[in-house]
Amino acid sequence: MKKIFVTCFLAVAFLLANPFKGAAQCDTIASLCAKHIIASFISDGQQYRSLLLNPEETAEFKTTFFGETVYRIAACSGLTDGNLIFSIYDQERNLLFTNKDYKNSAYWDFKVKSTVEVTIEAKLDPSNNGSGCAVLLIGFKQSKK
Amino acid sequence: MVQQVRKFSLLFTPLCLLLLSSCGDGTGKTNNPEEIQEDTTKVVSSGVLNIGGELFSIPSPLQTAMLIQKTGSPYDKGILNTKENMNQYATDFSKALNLGIYGADLGYVSMYNKTQDAISYLAAVKKLSDDLGLSGAFDTQTMERFNKNISNKDSMMMLVGLAYRSGDAFLKNNKRNDISGLILAGGWIESLYFSLQVNKAKENEEVKRRVADQKQAISSIVKLLSQSVAKPEYTDIINELKELSKVYDSIEYKYVYEMPETDVAAKTTTINSHTDVSITKEQLEKITVKVESIRKKIVNPVKA
Repeated sequence: MKKIFVTCFLAVAFLLANPFKGAAQCDTIASLCAKHIIASFISDGQQYRSLLLNPEETAEFKTTFFGETVYRIAACSGLTDGNLIFSIYDQERNLLFTNKDYKNSAYWDFKVKSTVEVTIEAKLDPSNNGSGCAVLLIGFKQSKK
Repeated sequence: MVQQVRKFSLLFTPLCLLLLSSCGDGTGKTNNPEEIQEDTTKVVSSGVLNIGGELFSIPSPLQTAMLIQKTGSPYDKGILNTKENMNQYATDFSKALNLGIYGADLGYVSMYNKTQDAISYLAAVKKLSDDLGLSGAFDTQTMERFNKNISNKDSMMMLVGLAYRSGDAFLKNNKRNDISGLILAGGWIESLYFSLQVNKAKENEEVKRRVADQKQAISSIVKLLSQSVAKPEYTDIINELKELSKVYDSIEYKYVYEMPETDVAAKTTTINSHTDVSITKEQLEKITVKVESIRKKIVNPVKA
């Protein structure tokens, strides 16, 4: 019985140390995702990451899209593209875009005419039935008139 | 602390129960290992692997630098924090805020192709990031890339964005979200300060509009910094930002939704909605006074 407890204690300790594994997993996903923010876009200097435990969980944040700017949003989870659904809503909760309509495209560009406040939401594709780190990256460039 | 303990015990109890059940009874009988692994990961994840916490997005100061340069406003070194100040920042709090400020300054000088100034501001950024333990964001390889591209504004902007993102990721990985938040806040304040100074020198509708467009950003910054409200050095800046936020609350915004258009082949959606903003001279003046006061305390913590 003592042996069982020792084994279990060690297992708990190992699992509690797993944030590092989680962080490393996120780093790998972020590196893969960064490839979608191509050189013509400037990174906004932030990395949006969240651990989603199931397809019902949503990661979200609010941001401002400034006028006369083109934004690129890259959204990734796992080691392949297409695992993360991201949607953009305006301040009245109108859906402006969801990549669900476009085969969960890992990136999309947004040409913004006039400044708008938006909410970006991300969730795992239920068909993949998993959990994992979700990474969103934002790049921008000036819009050509 | 109490909350952490509660989280830990809430996590520890089901984990023990789960693991005890998974350890079997010592008779050699085992459960399906894959199933157990998946379940344990889920339990642990909810408490321990919460890497990012609540997500916030702060507009990049580089965007404002680009706008200012685009409006034809002349280069004005006087609006930047002097590089000589870099040695007076003694605390992590002060270093992080000023790392954000110098990053915005580096973006500004790069937009105007001021090579010598870019070298100076790069040195200031490097020093503060090293002091904060962010040497990975400005490692030898990155510095070489900077030096090689110092006269190319497009490459410089790209590199600044990448280096700051790398620093942001490093800090979040190491649970130093407070430092990450301060860097973002510093950069944002500096870019707002640029806009206000440029508009003060010569009124410009585009720049004025960019000032008015910061309502969401100020709200996010207040929430972001308020996560560290228990630390005494945060009190003053949070209170000042809350006052600034009140001025933004008084500005009139009118949002008009219009159907977006999507070009599937180009993977592009055009957002046609718009927000009409009406900012008065008094509101602009209040914002200017408040931002100047906040910035002064950050760049000159000893004198302020």
